[in-house]
Amino acid sequence: MRRYDSSEVGGPDILDVEVAASPRAGALARLRTRAALGLEPALAPAVVFVPLGVLLGPLVLGIVSEEVLAHLDTVVSIALAALGVFVGVAVDLRDRTSRRTLVAASVEALVTIAVVLGAALILFAAWGLRLDANPWSVALILGISASASSAGAVDDGAAGADRAAAAIANLDDVLPLLLGGVALAWGAGQPPLWAVVSAVHTVLLGAGVAAAGWLLFERAHGAAERAVFVVGTVVLLGGVAAYLALSPMLAGLAAGVFWTSAPGRAEKVIRDDLGKIQHALVVLLLVTAGASLVWTPIALWLFAPFVVFRLAGKLIGGSLAAWLVPHVAPADLGSHLIAPGVLGLAFALNFQQVAPSATAAAVLAAATAGSLACEVLGVWARPRPARG
Amino acid sequence: MGRAAAVALVFLVMVWVRRAAPEGAETRGAALALGFALIAAAVTGALFERARLPRISGYLLFGLACGPYVADLISRPMARSLQLVNGLAIALIAFVAGLEMNLLRLRPQWRAILRLGGVTLAFVYAVIFAVLWAAWPLLPIWPEATGLPRLAVSALATTVVVSFSPTVTIAVIAESRARGRLTSLVLALVVITDLALILLFTLAMQFARWALGGTAAEEVALGARLAWEILGSFAFGAIVGAAFAVYLRLVGRELTVVLLAVCGLLSVLGDRLHFEPLLAALAAGLVVENVAPPSGDALKDAVERGALPVLILFFAAAGASMHVDALATVGLVALAVSAVRMAAVRAGVALGSRAAGLSPPLSRLVWMGLVSQAGVTLGLTILVAAEFADWGATLQTLMVALIALHELIGPILFRTALARAGEIGRMDAPEEAAPA
Repeated sequence: MRRYDSSEVGGPDILDVEVAASPRAGALARLRTRAALGLEPALAPAVVFVPLGVLLGPLVLGIVSEEVLAHLDTVVSIALAALGVFVGVAVDLRDRTSRRTLVAASVEALVTIAVVLGAALILFAAWGLRLDANPWSVALILGISASASSAGAVDDGAAGADRAAAAIANLDDVLPLLLGGVALAWGAGQPPLWAVVSAVHTVLLGAGVAAAGWLLFERAHGAAERAVFVVGTVVLLGGVAAYLALSPMLAGLAAGVFWTSAPGRAEKVIRDDLGKIQHALVVLLLVTAGASLVWTPIALWLFAPFVVFRLAGKLIGGSLAAWLVPHVAPADLGSHLIAPGVLGLAFALNFQQVAPSATAAAVLAAATAGSLACEVLGVWARPRPARG
Repeated sequence: MGRAAAVALVFLVMVWVRRAAPEGAETRGAALALGFALIAAAVTGALFERARLPRISGYLLFGLACGPYVADLISRPMARSLQLVNGLAIALIAFVAGLEMNLLRLRPQWRAILRLGGVTLAFVYAVIFAVLWAAWPLLPIWPEATGLPRLAVSALATTVVVSFSPTVTIAVIAESRARGRLTSLVLALVVITDLALILLFTLAMQFARWALGGTAAEEVALGARLAWEILGSFAFGAIVGAAFAVYLRLVGRELTVVLLAVCGLLSVLGDRLHFEPLLAALAAGLVVENVAPPSGDALKDAVERGALPVLILFFAAAGASMHVDALATVGLVALAVSAVRMAAVRAGVALGSRAAGLSPPLSRLVWMGLVSQAGVTLGLTILVAAEFADWGATLQTLMVALIALHELIGPILFRTALARAGEIGRMDAPEEAAPA
C-alpha cells in the first residue's frame, strides 16, 4: 500500500484515490483490503456509490424509499458538516507557501465559478428555462458545485507538479464553501444582504460549537470519551446548521479552521477520530445523492453545460493559478483538477435539502451526473504521475 | 473548569438556536438533538460517575431535565427523533450481554440460576398478585371490576408490574465494565425470568380476552407466533452471529462500523420479520463468544468505542421521553406499588437464594439488580393498552410512572451492588483475575 501525504478530504486514508492493489495478492488478502469492503474503493467513490444509490432508490428497487430518504436527511447534514471540517483542517495559514497556495486555489475556484455562472445565466435566457428560484442564485449554486476538485493522492516520491496540484485541490473548496453559505440562503429565498448575514451567522455558530468541542476533547478521559466528544461536536455542527436551514459545510469549515488555529493537538484528534467514520458518512452521502436523483427536462438541459463549462473553467482557472505556485506548468494544472471528488454534489444535495424545489432537484441531478462524467474525463485527462 | 465552560457554551448555542428557529425547523431537529445529547449527556454521565453513581442515571437525568417536560431544550419531535437510535441500542446492548455470557463458565451455576429464578419469580408474582387483588378498589386501573374480570385484569397487570429490564441491567454492566459472579448471575437471571414473563404475559392476555368476553386468538396460531418470535429470534441471531464471527476471523477490520451495522441489521430486519431484536442480538453475541471467541482486544475495543455513544443517546432519549406528568397524577399509587414490588423482589430473592444454596454476600445483593424496568415493561403495557383501550390506558399511566421511578432507582441500586461485590472495572482485567 502506498503512503499518502495528501489530506484531500480526510487525510491519508483517502476516498478520492485509486488503491494500488497488488495483482499478486491472493483472494483472502484482497478481502482484507479496505477496497474490497467498499471502505476504500478502487474507483472514485462517486462512480460506485451514486449509481448504487440510483439502483436502491425509489425510482428502481425502492429499498431506499422516500421515507428512508427523509430519515437519511439527518445523516446527510452530519456528513456535510464532516466534509466541511476536513476542508477546514486543511487550511493552514501559518506559513507563506500555504497562504500562497490558498490564494492560487481560490483564484482557480473563482474562475470556474465565474465561467459556469456566466454560461448558465446566458443559457437560461437563451433557452427560456422556467426556474422556480432566482436564476442568479441557481447559476451561482451550479458554479459552486462545479468548482470542487480532487487531484488524487500523492506519495513521498511524487513530482512537484503532482504535489502542487494536490495542494491546490485541497484548498480550492474553501472559497466555494464560503460563497456557498451565502448562495444557499439566497437560493432559499432570502435577500442577498440577509444571505450574507446568514453566512456570518453560520461561521459564528460553527466557531462557537468548535470552541466547545475543543475544550471537551482536549480534556477527555480516554479514547472512547474523546471520540464521543469529537463525533458529538460534528453532529452538533450539522444539527445547528440543518435546524436553522444554514450550510453545514460552512459551519464545518469554520470549525475546522478554528481547530487548525487552536493551540494543542485538536487538528490531529479530529483527523484521527473523524477519519474512522468518514468513509461511512461519505458512502451514505453518495448513496443518498443517487437515490434522490430525479431526471427532469431542466436537469438534462443543465447537464451538458455543467460538464463543458466546468472543464473550461478548470483549465482556464488552473492556468491562471499556476502562475502563483511553483513546480507546475500552467497548461498542466487544470487537467490535474478535472476530477471533482464529492464536495460538488454534496453542495447540490445541501441546496436540495434547504430549498426543495424542481429547480433544486434539477441542479442536484445535473451536478451529480456532471460530477460522474468529470470523474471519467479526469481519469482520461489527468497527466501521468511523474516521479520526483 | 474547561468542561464547565464547554457545556455552558453548548447550552448557550442550543438556547440561541432554539430561539432563532425559523418556521418548520422542528422537522429538522434530529441532528441538533443528537449532537446536543451526545455532548451534554456525556458530561453529565461523567459527573455522575465521579459521584459514584451510574453514568446511565446521568444520561437519563440529562434527558429528563432538557426534555419536553422540563426545560424543553429537546422538544417533543426532537425527543421522538432521538428514539431512532433505540432499536440499534437495544440490539447492541443485548449483543454485549451475549458476549459476556460464556456458557462454559456459567455451566456450574445453571442449576442455581434456574432455582433462584423460579422461586423468585413465583414468589414475586404471588405477592404482587395478592396485593393488587386486595387493593383493587383503591387502584386507578378499573376499580369497579369484580369477579372473573378482576381476576383476569389483576393477573395481566401483575405480569407487567413484575417484569424486569434486561436492557438497563446490561447497560449498567457495560458502562461499569463489571465482571464476576454477581454480574453473570443477575444477567442470566434477568434474561431467563423475562423470557418466562413473556410466556406468562401471553397466557395472561389469553385469559383476559376470554374473561372479558373478547375474541380469543386461536391457541395454535398463538403458539406458532410465540415459537416464531422466540425460537426464530434465536435462530436468526445465531446466523447473524456466525456470519459476524466469520468476518472477525477472516477480515477483522473496521470492527466498530461493522459491529454497529450488524446491530442495525438485527434491529431493522428482526423487527420486519417479527423477531424480538433483544433475543436475536443476545443469540448473536452468545454464538460469537461461545462458538468462535475472538482473539485479542479488537472486538473489546470496538464494543467500547461503539457502545458509549449509543448508550448515551439511548438513555438520554429515554429520559427525554419520560412521562413525569404520569408521576404527578398517579405518583403516590406508583410509589406504593414500587415499594411492594421492591420488598417482594428482595424477599423472593432471599427465598430463592436459600433454595439455590447461595450464600452471602451474593444472596444479599442479587435483588438490587432486579429493580430496573424499561423497554420490555413499556412494550407489554402498550400491548395491553392497544387491546383494552378503556382500562388499558389507565394501567399504562400507572406503569409509565412506575417505569420512570424504576428507571431512576434501578441503575443506582445495581451499581451499588456491583461496587459492593467488587466487580466494577473487572471486565478490563485478565480473565483469571475475575472472581470465580
